[in-house]
Amino acid sequence: MEENVLKERVAQLEDHILKKCLWQFHSRAWDRERQNENILGKTTQILCGEPVAKETAEDRCYYADAVCLADAYKERFDWINTLNVAEIKEVMAALKERIDYVTITGSLNEELTVKQY
Amino acid sequence: MPHHRFECSECIPEREKHAVVKGPGEDLTDALPLGYLNTIPGTISERGCAYCGAKHVIGTPMKDVIHISHGPVGCTYDTWQTKRYISDNDNFQLKNTFATDVKEKHIVFGAEKLLKQNIIEAFKAFPDIKRMTIYQTCATALIGDDIGAVADEVMEEMPDVDIFVCNSPGFAGPSQSGGHHKINIAWVKNKVGTVEPEITSDYVINYVGEYNIQGDQEVMQDYFKRMGIQVLSTFTGNGSYDDLRAMHKAHLNVLECARSAEYICNELRVKYNIPRLDIDGFGFEPLSSSLRKIGIFFGIEDRAQAIIDEETARWKPELDWYKERLKGKKVCLWPGGSKLWHWANVIHEEMGVEVVSLYTKFGHQGDMEKGIARCEEGALAIDDPNELEGLEAMEKLKPDVIFTGKRPGEVAKKVRVPYLNAHAYHNGPYKGYEGWVRFARDIYNAIYSPIHQLSGIDISKDEIATDKGFSTQRLVSDANLPEEVKNSETLRQYTGGFDSVSKLRNKTYPYLEQRAASVEA
Repeated sequence: MEENVLKERVAQLEDHILKKCLWQFHSRAWDRERQNENILGKTTQILCGEPVAKETAEDRCYYADAVCLADAYKERFDWINTLNVAEIKEVMAALKERIDYVTITGSLNEELTVKQY
Repeated sequence: MPHHRFECSECIPEREKHAVVKGPGEDLTDALPLGYLNTIPGTISERGCAYCGAKHVIGTPMKDVIHISHGPVGCTYDTWQTKRYISDNDNFQLKNTFATDVKEKHIVFGAEKLLKQNIIEAFKAFPDIKRMTIYQTCATALIGDDIGAVADEVMEEMPDVDIFVCNSPGFAGPSQSGGHHKINIAWVKNKVGTVEPEITSDYVINYVGEYNIQGDQEVMQDYFKRMGIQVLSTFTGNGSYDDLRAMHKAHLNVLECARSAEYICNELRVKYNIPRLDIDGFGFEPLSSSLRKIGIFFGIEDRAQAIIDEETARWKPELDWYKERLKGKKVCLWPGGSKLWHWANVIHEEMGVEVVSLYTKFGHQGDMEKGIARCEEGALAIDDPNELEGLEAMEKLKPDVIFTGKRPGEVAKKVRVPYLNAHAYHNGPYKGYEGWVRFARDIYNAIYSPIHQLSGIDISKDEIATDKGFSTQRLVSDANLPEEVKNSETLRQYTGGFDSVSKLRNKTYPYLEQRAASVEA
């Protein structure tokens, strides 16, 4: 996928997460890492039609957020329905990198690394 | 997203780092206001204290409890009614306030005897109430009263009572948020796991960070019950003390106000393996998505969808009536807590208003991250503003309305900016589908009240026209609307009743077949 197309698509997906979701802003960095990894990972699996783990209560929780995100993406961004599995994975990996940056590595929130809640 | 310097705070350069403007193309990594820090001397912060956060925000919404402040009676300031966290047991916790009324002689000689005497007196005065929470204040923390020992002594003498000690004096944190933290952790450490509840459903949740403002919790509980979900406890609006001791038996913690109550969810996640799901209860789309997520978690998504379809069909035409008349209005979103992020995007999308500023008086940087991420470009985000900064912001931004607490709200009215109570509401509840329409109606009434035509007249010098009447709300709000909107047969104003909550209390719910608590592929 061309870089400018990828960037534009990631920006759309990112904007949706920042405006509509809450799971990405847990108050500690380790928690944000877990949230981003699991929810975006499961969203990717759903969009690619792959099996998703939902045996544990925690898995089902991530799954619930992932289903809603995948549905919203399919409904709002027509282009996502035209991508093949490899392209979806490319976009979602870039999205994960971007969300990690905005919420963790590039975040100016000084509380993220405080150990105790 | 550069920092913003208020003219009135030029002599306090540190304040610049507490305000930012969301610039075009910028994101949260460009600038973020500082937050949850000790107040800068000279800024005249309007925050509350840690005791206030523990007692007034988290503890007191518990309904079947004698809430007693161990300290001077002044610490009970603002107790009555101001939060409007109503309860279905005749508002016991709102109607009655208890303090040990510590005086100088107690500071010198100790106040433990006074505390014990007060506890026993309070239990005798209300023999049906067997539960109590004691809140430490600055004065009794400084003299070192051992409240826990006194509580243990009373529980030994009166075996039918149970007492929770909340050690969160005013100085325990930089703002009320420190008190939120302390009471969360103390409750999970000392009380959770001490009662075994009756489980009546395969689907059991704790509803956390919900304070039942004007009935919000009861509205949400209605949806949960219609889905066949048992709400084991509500932390803490309309919540019962013993239900809250049984939080460890839930399958899921559903969290609304993350900053005030996420601590308890995180501890329950570690200790009892109960996952946490953050939801929005405000606005049609966020609420629908929230109900759906809970449905997906339990494998009962169809039940959630049935509610979403029914409620949307009933209330959407009424929301849209207001949206047509609120489009483009400028709003300062200056609430106390989670409404900062719960409302920032959805009031724009579903009511058409523009959020030009948001603030929090005691929020953390994480709260601002959520708020700024969700509001529009150009919005001014302020941490811990004082009255002068608030006035300066209103003068520059010229909002059509502000959503805030009663004290800054009164200040806004003086400069002719309509104010809507974001803490206790005007005519809530605002949660739920009907509630969201009630909120839109309150905004409409605030902006288009004919009183604004009168409020600009200086009766000492201006002439008052006697040959013409004042315009009505509809004349003002509909002046520039297209005919098809004005005469729409679909859109309509709010048709619900004055009280949308009481009727829920006697409602019966259909028996719903239990299903295996697994998610379908």
